Amino acid sequence: MTALSTAAGIGSTRTVGTAALRVEDLRILTGRGRYVDDLKFPGMLHAAFLRSPFAHARILSIDVSAALELPGVVGIFTGADMAARTTGIEPLVAPPGFRSEPVFGLAIDKVRLVGDPVAIVVADSRYIAEDACELIDIDYEQLEAIGTFEQALDPSGPKVFESLDSNIMLEMSNSYGEVDESFAEAELIVRRTFAQHRVAQVPMEGRGGVSHFDPESGNFVYYTGTQSPHSLKGYISQALGVPLEQTRVVNGDIGGAFGLKIATHREDVALCAASYWLGRPVKWIEDRNEHLLASGQAREERMELEAAVNRDGTILAMRGTMVLDQGAYPAVPFVGGGIVGLIATMMPGPYAFRGFAMSSQVVASNKCTYSAYRAPWAMETWARERMINVIAAELDLDPAAVRRKNFAANDGSVSMLSGATLLDNSCAQTLERVLELGEYDRLRTEQAAARAQGRCVGIGFATFIEGAPGPAAGRGLNEQSIARVEPDGQLSIFTTQAPNGQGHETTLAQIASDEMGIPIGNVKIYHGDTADTPYALIGTGGSRAATLASGSVLHSSRKLKANVLELAAEMLEANPSDLVIEDGLIHPIGVPTVHLTLAEVAARAYAEPADTSEPVLAEPTLTAEAAYDGGIGSWSAGTHFCHVEIDLQTGQVKILRYLVVEDCGRMINPAVVEGQVRGGVAQGVGEVLFEWSAYDDQANFLAGTFMDYLLPTASEVPRIDIEHLENEPNEEVFFRGVGEGGLLIAPAAITNAIEDALSPYGAQINDQYLPPAKILELAKVI
Amino acid sequence: MTTTPTTQSVQLTVNGVARSGETENRKTLVDFLRDDLELTGTHVGCEHGVCGACTILLDGEPVRSCLMLAVQANGRSLETIEGLGSPDDLSPLQQAFRESHGFQCGFCTPGFVMTTVALLRENPDPSEAEIRHCLSGNLCRCTGYQSIVEGVKSAALALQAGENR
Ligand code: FES
Ligand code: FES
Repeated sequence: MTALSTAAGIGSTRTVGTAALRVEDLRILTGRGRYVDDLKFPGMLHAAFLRSPFAHARILSIDVSAALELPGVVGIFTGADMAARTTGIEPLVAPPGFRSEPVFGLAIDKVRLVGDPVAIVVADSRYIAEDACELIDIDYEQLEAIGTFEQALDPSGPKVFESLDSNIMLEMSNSYGEVDESFAEAELIVRRTFAQHRVAQVPMEGRGGVSHFDPESGNFVYYTGTQSPHSLKGYISQALGVPLEQTRVVNGDIGGAFGLKIATHREDVALCAASYWLGRPVKWIEDRNEHLLASGQAREERMELEAAVNRDGTILAMRGTMVLDQGAYPAVPFVGGGIVGLIATMMPGPYAFRGFAMSSQVVASNKCTYSAYRAPWAMETWARERMINVIAAELDLDPAAVRRKNFAANDGSVSMLSGATLLDNSCAQTLERVLELGEYDRLRTEQAAARAQGRCVGIGFATFIEGAPGPAAGRGLNEQSIARVEPDGQLSIFTTQAPNGQGHETTLAQIASDEMGIPIGNVKIYHGDTADTPYALIGTGGSRAATLASGSVLHSSRKLKANVLELAAEMLEANPSDLVIEDGLIHPIGVPTVHLTLAEVAARAYAEPADTSEPVLAEPTLTAEAAYDGGIGSWSAGTHFCHVEIDLQTGQVKILRYLVVEDCGRMINPAVVEGQVRGGVAQGVGEVLFEWSAYDDQANFLAGTFMDYLLPTASEVPRIDIEHLENEPNEEVFFRGVGEGGLLIAPAAITNAIEDALSPYGAQINDQYLPPAKILELAKVI
Repeated sequence: MTTTPTTQSVQLTVNGVARSGETENRKTLVDFLRDDLELTGTHVGCEHGVCGACTILLDGEPVRSCLMLAVQANGRSLETIEGLGSPDDLSPLQQAFRESHGFQCGFCTPGFVMTTVALLRENPDPSEAEIRHCLSGNLCRCTGYQSIVEGVKSAALALQAGENR
């Protein structure tokens, strides 16, 4: 621990490291949260989208006349309006060579997925808007649709974008270290093809917004729930041609996001356009069917992988090819398919391979947009951790032994092949600890006995590192914050985070109050409004808050504290370095009886004193700002351990025990950390056992309700036990992110356990989706 | 469909207060609560009866207010999240959920809270299996449920300790 970490106030107000009660809970537990659909404005209209029933079709004509006559309908806009009156938006952060067409709010000449928005109807109520949708007459000419990788890659097949000569949107090759040499030398080459099925983020609050254009002032406010208020603001301004300075995006409470709401969606553009053109506030709230159909989906990848290994378990190298289905339209600003680069750079993980190579293709299809979902690069962790178990089985070694054999040294002597530091990652330590806590040896003995009784039990575990912020995440994307003492002595913090469940109003207040030496209740965190928060391209995403936002708030609060002490020193005729702030009182060290409050200092800084002999102390100001880039970057790390029993009558997988040993450095709030981890694991349980954004091979969507897209409930998600190692990285900000690790690794731990359980039946798990029917098939029951 | 929708007047009691309104026959109860009565604490997560976000108590029984029409609630007595404690004065159940860090984004929360109110009235001392079974009609995408289950357990203890409200 460096001296900096102890610089914070040490009074009884200190809360970092404790499960401080959440500020947010006072409103969310009493029904007083303010989510998008809770907003109401005078004169507000309601929008509904008419969506394509076809996966791929040309729009021959649209007749809205009958719909326009319905009483209560105020306006209907179609792709023709979008083409004539808006500018298409394009990805901002796309890898070199990525191809796309500009994206418009509504389909213009053809529809490219089931659910493609074709018209927006604005009416006095949502009920009327939906009635009117049914009166719109559209002539479609159906086209052959692309529903599989093979169809997408068939050069003679249909094209999603006819201006492009193929459906390949991106090709990328990455090669690090000695790949061919390793394969030439290896004693054995192990091959597998792994497929990750399409799933979705499914926050409990879908998308939506109230777009509020005021023709009098020309001001445009978009009330919504976005992870990236500033980037959304930029795109709305650009698409509609509203000056940036008159555009504002405002969040309230957000009912979950998980990566989906980092994007500017086409419906955002169409909704804002409708409000702009009608000069009225317009609300759109996505219904669940629209959400499952058209909001965003993730994770459809297939990887052919081979590993060069020696019989002692040494993995010399891995190489492979990968294809990713981005769906029809690219996500804006972060192209989903752009993740192939991160998949390749991250895949060696904490292991010391000599070589690694991956060739990737991103294809377009007639499906929903592939977008960010908690740990978007997860394919690499799943495929690698599966492959290590496959190698162990081939060599008849314990999967723990193969991991031990290949972990890279964490003393800084070895970097990841792609260049990132592996300094201080504690993967090996988490593996040993989880095996100990899980009583691995005992479970193996019991497994043999259980098998002899005909029971099907399995043990699986898998290890990860999470860039939080990894060396790749922090670069060039500083996190800014502003700290200000208000006239009443309260501390206001303005962050670029756009929380959607992470509890930043609490955790950032913990940081700021500790640093300033005031009670947590005297700090208010402002977020989600582009009018008063610093600019950020991302906002909340990439597990950036714990290190970057917290580090930024730490520094802005620290600067502000120095200013406060300088002013107080003048008032007390003392030396700033002789003063401290404890429990909200500024006093000379050891003399708490002589004190000032922050309000008293603020009064001297902000107002003309009644006694004019005392000057206003205008400098330094009671506002400070800071940016933080995460330093050299570091990793959260962990190993998840899963013990399953499978019912071979029903194909049901029961998780008997789920254990996590993780290390995210020092925890700001252990309850928040554990909530993030458990939530991620629950999504992993869902992903493997229940969830599938299913399409048939003609790209018809098959999972449009919660009866088809199955989310795990309290009956299916097991108890998840967590132990924390709190190794503190060699940085002045010790906190690391945990937002993504749970979902990053859980599918590997679970599928490894299931393959272990089914190994007596010779089952190989190559597809991640394992519903009961698939389990029975793997066990050769059906 | 192009005919003018018919309306009816509805009288009901919400959290002990008599309320009334004129509503289209086809309007769901949750829309009536949220739009007409401006009680936005009850949320809509699916509109097809699966997620439980819209759970309220109708004459004491938990129901999905997205699956009912407002007119069907005529003459009935409703309880919603707004009828429990306030931010300055949380009910013991809300306090228990807060202390167990039960929720994250809070969107599912009103549904879980009302489901729990009904559960604990009927079964003041539920086992973990009973709690999980009872909550499995409500979806939460954030928490993995464990913290909610813990919240229900400690709420049960608090209520048994006589802090009933
Ligand atoms: S909104 Fe009523 S159950 Fe989902
Ligand atoms: S807390 Fe977010 S859905 Fe439950």
